[in-house]
Amino acid sequence: MRQYFHYFKWLYIVLAAIAVLTVVLHVGHWMLAKTMNYQRTNTECITDERVFDGAGVLNDKEEEKLRRLIAKRERQTGCDIVLVTLNEPLEAYAREIEPGVRSEEFVRVYAEQRWENDGFGYDRPDGDGVILVDNWSRADDGSIHTWLCTTGRARDAYYEEDIDHLLDNVYHYVEKNPYRAYKTYVNDFYHDMLGWKVFHMYVPGYVPWLAGIIAAVIFCVVNWRSKEGKKTTTATTYVAGREPVFRVSQDRFLRKMVTRRKIQTSSGGGGGRSHGGGGGHHGGGGHSR
Amino acid sequence: MIFKCRNCGGNTVYSPEKGGMYCPHCESTGSEEKIGDSSLVQCVNCGAPIQITQYTSACRCEHCGNYLIFNERVENVFEPKLILPFRIGKEGAAAAMEKEFSRRLFAPADFLSAKSLEKMEGVYVPFWLYDYDADYDFAGEGTRVRTWRSGDTEYTETSYFEVVRRMDVDFDRIPVDASIAMDDSVMDLMEPYDYRALADFAPQYMSGFFGEVYNQKAEELDERAQAKARQASEELLQGSLTGYTTVRPYRKNLHLTREGFCYALMPVWQYAYRYRDKSYLYHVNGQTGKVIGVTPVSRGKVLAYGASVFAAVTALCYMAVHVLEIL
Repeated sequence: MRQYFHYFKWLYIVLAAIAVLTVVLHVGHWMLAKTMNYQRTNTECITDERVFDGAGVLNDKEEEKLRRLIAKRERQTGCDIVLVTLNEPLEAYAREIEPGVRSEEFVRVYAEQRWENDGFGYDRPDGDGVILVDNWSRADDGSIHTWLCTTGRARDAYYEEDIDHLLDNVYHYVEKNPYRAYKTYVNDFYHDMLGWKVFHMYVPGYVPWLAGIIAAVIFCVVNWRSKEGKKTTTATTYVAGREPVFRVSQDRFLRKMVTRRKIQTSSGGGGGRSHGGGGGHHGGGGHSR
Repeated sequence: MIFKCRNCGGNTVYSPEKGGMYCPHCESTGSEEKIGDSSLVQCVNCGAPIQITQYTSACRCEHCGNYLIFNERVENVFEPKLILPFRIGKEGAAAAMEKEFSRRLFAPADFLSAKSLEKMEGVYVPFWLYDYDADYDFAGEGTRVRTWRSGDTEYTETSYFEVVRRMDVDFDRIPVDASIAMDDSVMDLMEPYDYRALADFAPQYMSGFFGEVYNQKAEELDERAQAKARQASEELLQGSLTGYTTVRPYRKNLHLTREGFCYALMPVWQYAYRYRDKSYLYHVNGQTGKVIGVTPVSRGKVLAYGASVFAAVTALCYMAVHVLEIL
């Protein structure tokens, strides 16, 4: 045991240090959240409702719980947090507003219109906030589209990676437990807004496990030494005077041959990708399932 | 024979640390006295029956604990010409093993315990030392290849050389162990010994240790010595063929002439360790302290250490990911 603790001393010290750092950050985050209490200044919003369950995937109790949670998180983040579930084809609606819009972005058009029409925004109409539109109606290809639309401070804070991560978390639960999925949306948004946003990267959940397995395997292989010993003699170990005597050592040039070869040059093009955006003052991103 | 202390009558032994005979009972030095002619079946000191193999030349009486040297196995045809006395004592050998194996994490917990190491025994292993003259006549064709580019053309120039070497090598005391019980590959790994410390044989050096006479005659082991000489000659020749991209030999004649051989005893500490019904043998060069042996692996330790690393790294990654997300 003594050898074990001696060997892993530094590993455990580093582990403890990072654990302390994690706890400190958590406490700091929590204390920061406690001090946050934004006052809503938007008086032009036409509704106080934040949960629009058009698809009917939530029961009354769940809707009420979400309303309370959203109210609390709005004060802490200073952003309107809106949830809309639908179960209707949006093609006609979206094409009327944006004739050339692609089918996976019908839900974006709806989200942006809803946000603007209802005058959402915590500080002013079309101000700080976020809206999640989850359309349970299946498109022609059988998929369900969801869009997260950000404006104001939320748009500044949210990068593509953040939106993907949030929607991934929502999708993790949405089919089995829509309430939990939408609660995750509200809480993730709150955590993201209160974070310092130094890094916009998300590591898949399996990575720590994989890193642990790889480290353990490497550790075991490195320490599983089975070599008997090293050869420590050389060719001259038993040679008198430590070196041979060369009576003849001759290197005579015979001939030379030169060959040449044409170098083939090749050129090719690579693939590419393009990004497009709707423009305007909305940010956001969508997923399908 | 047995060496007794003139002062106290105790069994004097050769002390590697002191470099001479020593009485562990009264701590006298140089007080040894040779007593009697040993029988191969009975202890010359206490008369108890002893059991030895056909090659044993020195052993310890299990009854009285005295070290016995068998006259008829260290005299006449069995008399070694040279002996390399132990320079490292049992404590030094144990320290060398600890140094070598202490970092082997998966070795069982009691592997290097003082109790286990106490069983370590010093053995004089019989060796034949061969002298050879090697005459190596080599001729071949060497090539040197140079490549360069000019515009969109790559040029390759190959120069051909006639390479001739005539090399004489004077091999001095190539060691080959003459003990059947000792693994040849292990004995080869024990090399080299520092021959400057070789001494003319005297039985005093064997007191306190085990020993064997040669199990095989010099002629029987000549081939192994020749193989060593051939390999070394080949390496020396290859070392002289530098600067060539390829060398294709068309004449290779290596002629070895044995110039002589002699019988010598070399010092080896031997440690036997048993783990999960399997025996593990360790050897420590009694002169240089070089350690040879494979450590057993404790599955429990592999599991404990591997699981710890897995848990710690996974936890570290999780916390790091968490911190990054908060930040």
